[in-house]
Amino acid sequence: MRILDKARLRLRSLCRRPNVDFELEAELRFHLDQLIEENISSGMPPEEARRAAQRMIGGIAQYKEECQDMRRVNFVEDLVQDLRYTIRSLAKSPGFTGVVVATLALGIGANTAIFTIVQGVLLRPLDYPKPDQLMYLTAESPAIGGTRNALSAPEYTEFRQMNQSFAAVGAYSTGGAAYTTGEVNLTAGDRPLRVRSISVDAHLLKTLSIQPEQGRFFSDEETARWTGTLPPPIAILSHGLWRTAFGGRPLVGQKVEIEGRPHEIVGIMPPGADVMDNHTQVWLPLWLHPSTARQRGDHVLYVIARLKDGVTFEAAQTELNAFVDDWGERVGTKDHVPTNRPLRAVDHTLQLRALQDAIVGNASRPIWVLQAAVGFVLLIVCANLANLTMARAGSRRREFVLRAALGASRGRLLRQSVTEGAVMSGAAGILGLWLANAGVRALIRAYPTGIPRTSELTIDLPVLLVALGLSTATALLFGFVSLGRGRTSSMVTALKEGARGASGAWRHYARRGLVIAQVAFAVMLVIGAGLLVQTVYNLTRIDAGFDRSRLVTFSMTLPMANSDPDTRAQAYQRVLDRLRSVPGVLGTVAMSGLPPNRTPDAIATPIENYTSDDGRTFEIIDYYQFVMGDYFGTMGIPIVAGRGFERTDNASQGKVAIVNETLAKRIWKGQNPIGQRLRPPGGSFGATDDVWHTVIGVAKDVRQRGVERPAGTELYVSLDQHGVSPPSMNVVMRTTLPPAALSGTIQRVVREVDAAVPVVRLRNMDSVFAESIRRPRLLAQLLGTFAGLALLLAAIGTYGVLSYMVTERRREIGIRVALGAARSHVLTQIMKQGLQVTAIGVTIGLAGALAVNRLIASLLFGVQPTDTATIAFVIATITAVAVLASWLPAWRASRLDPNVVLRDE
Amino acid sequence: MAKPTDFVQGTLDLLILKTISLEPKHGWAIAKRIQQVSQEALQIQQGSLYPALHRLEQQAWIKAEWRPTETGRMAKFYSLTRSGRKQLERELANWVRLSTAINIVVQEA
Repeated sequence: MRILDKARLRLRSLCRRPNVDFELEAELRFHLDQLIEENISSGMPPEEARRAAQRMIGGIAQYKEECQDMRRVNFVEDLVQDLRYTIRSLAKSPGFTGVVVATLALGIGANTAIFTIVQGVLLRPLDYPKPDQLMYLTAESPAIGGTRNALSAPEYTEFRQMNQSFAAVGAYSTGGAAYTTGEVNLTAGDRPLRVRSISVDAHLLKTLSIQPEQGRFFSDEETARWTGTLPPPIAILSHGLWRTAFGGRPLVGQKVEIEGRPHEIVGIMPPGADVMDNHTQVWLPLWLHPSTARQRGDHVLYVIARLKDGVTFEAAQTELNAFVDDWGERVGTKDHVPTNRPLRAVDHTLQLRALQDAIVGNASRPIWVLQAAVGFVLLIVCANLANLTMARAGSRRREFVLRAALGASRGRLLRQSVTEGAVMSGAAGILGLWLANAGVRALIRAYPTGIPRTSELTIDLPVLLVALGLSTATALLFGFVSLGRGRTSSMVTALKEGARGASGAWRHYARRGLVIAQVAFAVMLVIGAGLLVQTVYNLTRIDAGFDRSRLVTFSMTLPMANSDPDTRAQAYQRVLDRLRSVPGVLGTVAMSGLPPNRTPDAIATPIENYTSDDGRTFEIIDYYQFVMGDYFGTMGIPIVAGRGFERTDNASQGKVAIVNETLAKRIWKGQNPIGQRLRPPGGSFGATDDVWHTVIGVAKDVRQRGVERPAGTELYVSLDQHGVSPPSMNVVMRTTLPPAALSGTIQRVVREVDAAVPVVRLRNMDSVFAESIRRPRLLAQLLGTFAGLALLLAAIGTYGVLSYMVTERRREIGIRVALGAARSHVLTQIMKQGLQVTAIGVTIGLAGALAVNRLIASLLFGVQPTDTATIAFVIATITAVAVLASWLPAWRASRLDPNVVLRDE
Repeated sequence: MAKPTDFVQGTLDLLILKTISLEPKHGWAIAKRIQQVSQEALQIQQGSLYPALHRLEQQAWIKAEWRPTETGRMAKFYSLTRSGRKQLERELANWVRLSTAINIVVQEA
């Protein structure tokens, strides 16, 4: 009851404020009148009575305030008042407000953007039911540094039958089988498209627990019976492809042409359904060639498994270890089974890891590095703002002290400061969120494949909470800093000191400390960015082994289903011939794998008169390169021994091959490789038999799997000599024309050869290179931006502190100049102070950089974390910036006219 | 113009509650009454009285209404509520306990 009464009264006080005020006024007026009457009746003249009463009663206004305080509604009232006052006072100093809001918005924006990535990529669970139960099973070959490889089909089926830990085990493949790469040709209407595909079995869909939006999944029947020569012609489309390519019209049960064969669409996936961040557009039934399905040496299946409820990762790992211990005995074979002692190059073991870790892979370190970097930026921003606010508080001290003298309590003043902070932080927070959203979008547009899981990136609730937290924290910081030293200062001194404001030693040291911290953080960031820029520079300067200038490339696939190797070779030959006759095209060749960024083949290749250290007569060759045309001439790859392919080879019976330097060294170890023979499996490029090839030349190494990785072993085979071709080829033209100018011609030529085949990835070789170093480049660009921001803020901080110091010491400088001090002396003295602060900051920053730069060592290429050139450059840059930032206030000080200064005082 | 200490504030509350327990009074009358009864020993400052009244009203221990005085002027009269009466009993009991205790200490020592 009392609670209700109280609530009613508070509400009345709040809502009917004018009435309450009026009542209070009347009540106090009544009291005053009574007092006057009493005075008069005791014999005072009326005028004097009134004055005496008023003296006795003191300030009515203050009682009113106290009575209102008792009513506890002032909080809301004050807030409105504070807000109004804050907006007025901030509008009065737009420069200060602008700088604060803009820098804070940048700080909050950068942090929110990067945290969006941290949250979306690293922290947010995968979009499957119970995602922490999902595990990724891979084959690892530590002896040759092979990791995250696929399993063989027998291993997969055996593991599915043996295990007790998993509720479901499924497999997928993005290559091999009937579909050559993770892409297929698909015809929508009369438009040929190249779409991202994945081949999955029914078990995988059960494992991931995803449901189709329309239609059905593949059945066990359709994905586990690996017979015949081609997979069953059925497919499921992604929601996105269904909407964009088919306009979302009813499609289930209808036929769509995929890889030259009509496929029945049996289902449509819900939006966002995907496997391993593959950006899947079409889901096909998993199918293996019957011979592949039996081969233990063919590692073609990627395996995802779901733990049973209550089974831990450790338990599953222990169980797996037990299997691998005696896998051979369990399944009754000695032939290429997983082992726990993978000592030889051909050996492998099996490893489980959480699916999310497998998807994020090595992207997590760069992302955390960026998060740390933006954290530093925010600290610098806060230091800067604390400094700015302190300077402003210095000049507003009189205002605060005056208000305190008029009866404002300390809490009330603090609230006013915090309100000011909150208004600015709030504005900055909103602006920052907008910046973050725009930034993340721009980032994804610029680097669609630079970061995993980008399709799911959004500013979600946790991100909003972080942004809100940052804004609130900075708002509080402001409030306290603004009021800062008010606690210890006496009102009287402050009022006496007048407009000059008091600047005690505390404030002085605090401000210098803040600048030192800013410089230190900036040094750390700039060194990190410098190292990464150096890394990117090193990566772009790597000689990939061929002349990348003026090359235009595209790729195309002639489906296996409606073409055989001979007709494919003729079709490619026609394309190459027609492109060669285009004016401005100097040479045109085709190759199976486009350097410098292709997948490895790792094909076991018999070698004549050869026995390896562990007794094998074959060697696993990392890359097979099947080429058409004058490959070495057009690509600009030097032949270091023997000769390249020649037209005369095409007619000759004896098949020839070219090896790279690494292969020659690995196998023939100093002997002459020319004339040696190897036998590449014909199935790998469409030939019917395996025949011995004679080595006729050695080519210089070409980087194949990323420019930063050393070249592997490589074997070149001329398709012109065999008259066959694999389904997918990359065409490369040496030309003076840009890709855009050639696009129309290329489309026409390919359409004339096969209208159902799309031209994909048409670009120049420079963009292929840029793509291959996209992640270090992205990291360097972002870190560079943040470091630049940090540097700018540190410069503003140094400038701010020095100019404030100069303003404070105007009088002193004026007197010294009047007494004959040289202006140059004043200049150097002020600059010395600025550079002192910078030097301390640089020293601390260097120490910090040495301590934390180990963390980015794995992200660097060709440069040590302690690289002296980079560090020297950074110190030079920061010193230059500091000189600039100190010079302006110092120069201004040296220009002071003593007459003006002393008159002002 | 220091704020009353808790002790004094508590005492003032007690004085006010006691003073209006017999009949509703306005602020001026309350101050006068306390002054008279205490034989001018207790001078209640307006600066303490009105905030105290508002606080007590906010606690719902007293309620106020505007009524004419004997001279016909409108004034705000405060009277005890039911919970105010209970509060008075509690505070009285406290006061008796406290003052007895203080008396004992002061006289014995």
